Amino acid sequence: MSDKNLDFSYTTVPTICPYCGTGCGMLLEVIGGKISGVLPMKGHPVSDGCLCLKGWTAHEFVSSPDRLARALVGKDGDFKEVGYTEAVALVADAMRETVENHGPDSCAFVASARCTNEENYLMSKLARFAVGTNNIDHCARL
Amino acid sequence: MSIREKARQLFAEGVDGVLAFKRTDGVCIPHLFTKTEVEEICKDVPADQRYPVAGIVRRIFLSGLAGKIGVVARGCDERALIELGKQGQIDFDLLSIIGVACSEEQARYCECSKPYPSRIDVGSRFEGISVSEKVRAVESMEGDERLAYWLAQFASCLKCMGCRNICPVCYCVECSLEDENLVRRGSVPPDWPVFHLLRAVDMASRCIDCGLCEESCPSGIPLRTLYKKATEIVKELFDYEPGADMTQRSPLGTIGDQSELPGGAFEA
Amino acid sequence: MTNSIGELSDADVILLTGSNTSEQHPVIAGKILDAVRKGAKLLIFDPRIIHLTSFAHMHLRQKPGTDIVWINALMKVIIDEDLLDREFVNSRTEGFEELSRSLENYSLERAAEICGIEASDLREAARIFAMADKASIVYCMGITQHVFGTRNVLALANLALLTGNVGRLSTGVNPLRGQNNVQGACDVGALPNVLTGYQKVDDDVARGNFESAYGKKLPSKPGLTLIEIMNACLEGKIKFLYIMGENPMITEPDLKHVEEALSAVDFLVVQDIFLTETARLAHVVLPGSCWAEKDGTFTNTERRVQRIRKAIDPPGDARLDWQIICDIAKAFGSDYFEYSSAEEIFDEIAKLTPSYSGMSYQRLSTQGLQWPCPSVDHPGTVYLHETGFARGKGLFSVVEYDPESQKLEEHYPFVLMTGRVGFQYHSGTMSRRSRALAREVPEAYVEISPQDAARLGISDRDKVKVVSPNGELTVRAFVTERVRPGEIFIPFHFSEAPANILINSRELDPQSKITSMKFCPARIEKA
Ligand code: SF4
Ligand code: SF4
Ligand code: SF4
Repeated sequence: MSDKNLDFSYTTVPTICPYCGTGCGMLLEVIGGKISGVLPMKGHPVSDGCLCLKGWTAHEFVSSPDRLARALVGKDGDFKEVGYTEAVALVADAMRETVENHGPDSCAFVASARCTNEENYLMSKLARFAVGTNNIDHCARL
Repeated sequence: MSIREKARQLFAEGVDGVLAFKRTDGVCIPHLFTKTEVEEICKDVPADQRYPVAGIVRRIFLSGLAGKIGVVARGCDERALIELGKQGQIDFDLLSIIGVACSEEQARYCECSKPYPSRIDVGSRFEGISVSEKVRAVESMEGDERLAYWLAQFASCLKCMGCRNICPVCYCVECSLEDENLVRRGSVPPDWPVFHLLRAVDMASRCIDCGLCEESCPSGIPLRTLYKKATEIVKELFDYEPGADMTQRSPLGTIGDQSELPGGAFEA
Repeated sequence: MTNSIGELSDADVILLTGSNTSEQHPVIAGKILDAVRKGAKLLIFDPRIIHLTSFAHMHLRQKPGTDIVWINALMKVIIDEDLLDREFVNSRTEGFEELSRSLENYSLERAAEICGIEASDLREAARIFAMADKASIVYCMGITQHVFGTRNVLALANLALLTGNVGRLSTGVNPLRGQNNVQGACDVGALPNVLTGYQKVDDDVARGNFESAYGKKLPSKPGLTLIEIMNACLEGKIKFLYIMGENPMITEPDLKHVEEALSAVDFLVVQDIFLTETARLAHVVLPGSCWAEKDGTFTNTERRVQRIRKAIDPPGDARLDWQIICDIAKAFGSDYFEYSSAEEIFDEIAKLTPSYSGMSYQRLSTQGLQWPCPSVDHPGTVYLHETGFARGKGLFSVVEYDPESQKLEEHYPFVLMTGRVGFQYHSGTMSRRSRALAREVPEAYVEISPQDAARLGISDRDKVKVVSPNGELTVRAFVTERVRPGEIFIPFHFSEAPANILINSRELDPQSKITSMKFCPARIEKA
């Protein structure tokens, strides 16, 4: 019955709209482990139960078939899939070689106004602390 | 009785899940509780944080989840469930209702004529408001003034589609608001008054007066007042009330076969 | 924003400029409409007709590039008619005399001639603004995306100071951030010159705190901004570039230049959720996760730090972006990248950032907290500058208009403005994959006035070529009264017609390094 029927589930997860800087509160509806829709969060200090069309449809791109699910290696759009660990090692090696041969300031990092504070902070930590350069920015100017 | 007690009783009777509210981080969110989670069910149904539970029930069934569901329902939620049942959108045999009566304060805020479900499990019955002051206020305007009032309201629409999206009884796969021949795409505000009148006409025989559309309208358009008036007209002309009981047939659904809802009009 | 979004509903006057709020920030537009219904006067300074102009008390259509002129002209009226907040100016500001002297040149007549707004309208707007008890200034990219964007903002700040509209409810200078976490990315130090909380990298004390936390010296020389990074790639100075979650191949100005730059680096890493135009140029593409798949925080435009929560798992081999960074750092041989949750990272940010130091996931809950929030019992800050400014007194800046900024080039008689439409978002990577949004506005277009269209023999929906000194683009014409003769507008979200190909990136605002996306010389030809 219910407790064995793992897919028999509906819940909502409080979160924030991923689109604009208003930061409206929303609930993601999850049915049987899949995101099925969005509800506006009632009682949210900014949006109290309202969203715009972008917010209402924010879940639609999540399950797009175009989502990247594998690491890719290649050049000029000619990619092959590789394991995640291999891709990470390739990046770390390239970063190390660049720092050794050309110095930390020959590396640059672009963080993202769409990623979380935690991720942006770590990107800055990677640049400044691990590599030793202040060459870090994001697309804030847009 | 409390919501939890009633839920326990339903689980004992073989229900697979109970759709109710969960208090988490200062908000109340809809959640389908299993038997083991019964203690986490929120004891009350928060007045200022209402969600379209009937619409959620429809979506749960639509997703193919098989099971019997208990659902916490106020007066409006029950009306919505009945309306959906009538339209073949949900299966009443799989549904048990935990009826919750609204407080007087809530009923006054909503100007709700029946702020309780057919059987009350929780709360005590307040009779309801028979005359909407908000509707009367708009009616008391002169014709031109009233037209100008609504046009200005409609012109402020931001086309968020929230009124349609949150509505528990809106479920058409092909929504007339998205028909390019009726409403031009991509413009804010959407063509008015056609956008709003299309929806008002659609709602005249369906709206169960929950007011969720108005609460989710970022422009603050008094949609509930509009639809209250629309359903009032239908009631006067056809003595029909959406969501009142399972037997009444919608007068607007019988005008011609074009108006019949296509069978199995499920969202993809 | 100095103030909060909700406060807008209670303003007496809202001066809105360079923001098509109904399309870019609809929920904020709702608060503005709410204020108007309650009797607030809305003053809109915008060259284009936008949704909110039909609710405005006055719509003043300046010529593109002349913002400093109308702002200065308003201030001159306010001073000449003695409508300023003397008490506030005396007790809370500095530099009034210099400001006042610098405004001598901005007589109404001269201003009207340059910015194209009637002198009497400028006077009326100035009076309405100055006489309001609570006046709020709201602006967006129409103000900042100019080579003189920083000066535009300073001019607006002058106006708020002069009228005492700072440090009280429903007043302030309020930029609306375009992307969900621009504010947060800046707050946590994703900028070349500052660490978290805007602590300068060349400030030894601030950097010292980080150095003792990390146990290692950090570089003290400010780094390169994004546009400078692109130039350095071309010059061969940057050899390794790691881009997370951005698509500069659509969003940056001068796309040809960006493509050359990205192709020039020895090693390009792109971490994203889709194989974007930028990712296609990468040597390694790492599959990241989207917001629905992770815990973390975003900071909105009113400084509210808010939690997002994981709802589902990322697809396939995709990982949480913070885990990818940690894995790379560890493979690189760096310590201090061991975290078991996003919350642990947040706690580290709070420890190193005075304005976040009172925050924790538990306190953020679902309501968030607005920085500064310096201690665990601090309720957060709804509006800034209640008692003073960071530097003590508010400083008026002398901001002069430079006629060069409005100059068109021969053979390019139109002013091209680029921007957003409501139903798409940024590079379109996310929004164009939404069925509902793609249905609303499926393709790019150029807005052109009926007069210009008639003169050039262009009809609505005709294909036309838009040419700038920088590049060209073919799109459909949208003939509309929204723009005036001589002005055209193109949204930039569409990769098959990327408007930013037309924009040059060589002239930058000296402070913000922003290029002019709102003023580009162009011409239109039938395609
Ligand atoms: S719902 Fe709309 S207004 Fe609110 S944050 Fe999302 S995009 Fe912005
Ligand atoms: S009040 Fe609004 S949301 Fe509720 S049923 Fe009527 S139209 Fe739908
Ligand atoms: S909820 Fe309001 S703003 Fe949104 S589409 Fe409906 S009427 Fe328009």
